Amino acid sequence: MSTTTPTSPIAGSSTSPNWQRKLKNLIQPLVLLAPSGLWLLLLLVVPTLLILELSLIPGFRLGQPAGDYGIGNYFEIFQPVYFQVIWRSVMFALGTTLACLLLGYPVAYWIAIKAPKRWRNLLLVGFILPLWTSSLLRAYAWITILRPSGLLNSLLGAFGLPGQEWLNRSPAVFIGMAYSFLPYMVLILYASLEKLDRRLLEAAADLGATPQESFWKITVPQTLPGIAAGSLLVFIASLGDFVVPELLGGASSMTVSRLIYNQFLGATRNWGLGSSLSMILIFAVSVSIALLLKYGDRDAAQS
Amino acid sequence: MPPTRSRNFRLLSHSPQISLATRRRFLQASAAAVSGIVLSNCARNLSTSSSEADPNQTSSGGSAANKTLNIYTWANYTDDELINGFKNATGIQVVVDTYDSNETMLAKMQSGGGKQYSIVYPSDYMVQQMLEAEMLVSLDKSKLQGVDRLMENWQNPVYDPENAHSVPAVWGTTGLTYNPDKTGGDIEGWDYVWDNADQLSRQLTMINDVREVMGATLKYLGYSYNSTKQAEIEEAYNKLLEIKPTIASFLTNGWEDQLASGDLQLAMAYSTDAIALMEESPDLKYVVPESGTSLWTDTMVIPKSAPNPDAAYEWINFINEPENSAKLVERLKISTPNEAAFDQLPDTLKQDRNLFPSKQVLAKCEGIAPVPQEIADLYDRYWTQLTST
Repeated sequence: MSTTTPTSPIAGSSTSPNWQRKLKNLIQPLVLLAPSGLWLLLLLVVPTLLILELSLIPGFRLGQPAGDYGIGNYFEIFQPVYFQVIWRSVMFALGTTLACLLLGYPVAYWIAIKAPKRWRNLLLVGFILPLWTSSLLRAYAWITILRPSGLLNSLLGAFGLPGQEWLNRSPAVFIGMAYSFLPYMVLILYASLEKLDRRLLEAAADLGATPQESFWKITVPQTLPGIAAGSLLVFIASLGDFVVPELLGGASSMTVSRLIYNQFLGATRNWGLGSSLSMILIFAVSVSIALLLKYGDRDAAQS
Repeated sequence: MPPTRSRNFRLLSHSPQISLATRRRFLQASAAAVSGIVLSNCARNLSTSSSEADPNQTSSGGSAANKTLNIYTWANYTDDELINGFKNATGIQVVVDTYDSNETMLAKMQSGGGKQYSIVYPSDYMVQQMLEAEMLVSLDKSKLQGVDRLMENWQNPVYDPENAHSVPAVWGTTGLTYNPDKTGGDIEGWDYVWDNADQLSRQLTMINDVREVMGATLKYLGYSYNSTKQAEIEEAYNKLLEIKPTIASFLTNGWEDQLASGDLQLAMAYSTDAIALMEESPDLKYVVPESGTSLWTDTMVIPKSAPNPDAAYEWINFINEPENSAKLVERLKISTPNEAAFDQLPDTLKQDRNLFPSKQVLAKCEGIAPVPQEIADLYDRYWTQLTST
């Protein structure tokens, strides 16, 4: 921040006039930010504004005369069935985030701290390898595993355990999505755990802290930004996913992303309603990011 | 519902038209293609696209263009024998590319990525849509041979009156595929599901399409597949709620292995998909519900951008030669609308009620037709409720 506000004229005032420095300070960030800024403007800001505009035209449909502006689309969302859909999406996303955190933290901890140093990169690559295949393919693999006569139940049967009917129910969605997004969580947690200041752990041990105490009082708070970032990434990604819920979740797995898809490409082609649903989703995600960034940081600072 | 673009968005007016009816959407179809790989039963879906396209023969302009015909079609509608036969008869080399949804094809054609194709195979509703977008050549009847003996249903189809721009090529129905070992014998139609709802917990998959699912239920209740009456649609929705516990999932593709392995008792499916599966699992059966069902048609059209329309006419004529068409039906197990070709089929195929339902059954079938906007909204609202409660 200090570079963009050149209030002090001490340095360089003798060699170049003030306005030249000011110009330079103005142009430098512009040049640096222009490529990504233009990219974001064209591919993120403009489309989002377009969606916003569409959402403000009640019942807008492609190929039909557009009506007047209004907020009718947003009123239309206030229906129990849409709340049910949004609620289910949020629950799927929260559950997936929690599962990824619980599964991912020990893995990242082990790779970053316990595993031999020369193996770390290889282990990490091995762990993110599933990302290289299509998520659709992975979802189909889970169908093969989870279906009543599938791999899981064959294994359970071999051990004399009762079979599970997880496919086409919520557990299958959590399994499929957690599997899809776990590598993201592990990558971020790994980066955060690797930077952990080991001297703090040693100092804690010297001062008589048990391993548990030092884990909860040093390791976790130190990696809280990583936990927040990883959770956020997984939450947002799973909130927008509809392939896995649709393939694994059974007959009652309508999510908000699928609902939006249906408004654009389905039977109704109600682009107005679809856009307003999108705006609600964008708004909800933005708010959750803002909250998490704020409180995530504060907690880290306090501890 | 003709589009009247009086006050449109400038940015949006360039984007491809989005379909209304939605047979074989992109996601589902590509999902099927992928599942074909992962479940290593690729023989069924993926054989045609790459094997036929000779890498040395591309439409590279010049005099060679007259000897090459590029075709854009569904998988499993052509095979090597057909293409070699066409080359021997006409000297024209055929290059086949395949697509897995009408919407994919439309997007490619509208964005200019399909300029090499002289023959495309859109479905019924897509013909209508491409006509509205003025993408299709009006067929010169004097150049066509063998299309005068079409079955009754295709002589004057709703989607293209008098077949002015399209020649029907393949048709099929939507019905029930089932595992007789599990159902304990043959079934006639949807009665089975409603009568045994309490014993069928999550034993059925239905096509992931609101119009097909609601349409089948409307038919079961004795109404039209394309009902526009609110009371009827609501009744169908409530009827569907009764069997909700029997529905494992809404899948257009991806149910095949679960049905074959006995995890499902029955699946609502397109006849082509069901017949393809039955080639591998002969124990399975397919039935057109006795209450009636939807009838779909894939056609051959010549886009206005076609570089080689003469070869396109030759292709249409070649396909419609009864002998060629009959052999294609035998090899690929697809239904032809050509009466003359039907006459040449062996009796076993003629009497195959999966490929060619009886006249009485066909009389009860309807093509899915566009409905007014507010009715489409109603269908969608019930669909959202059905898939979320």
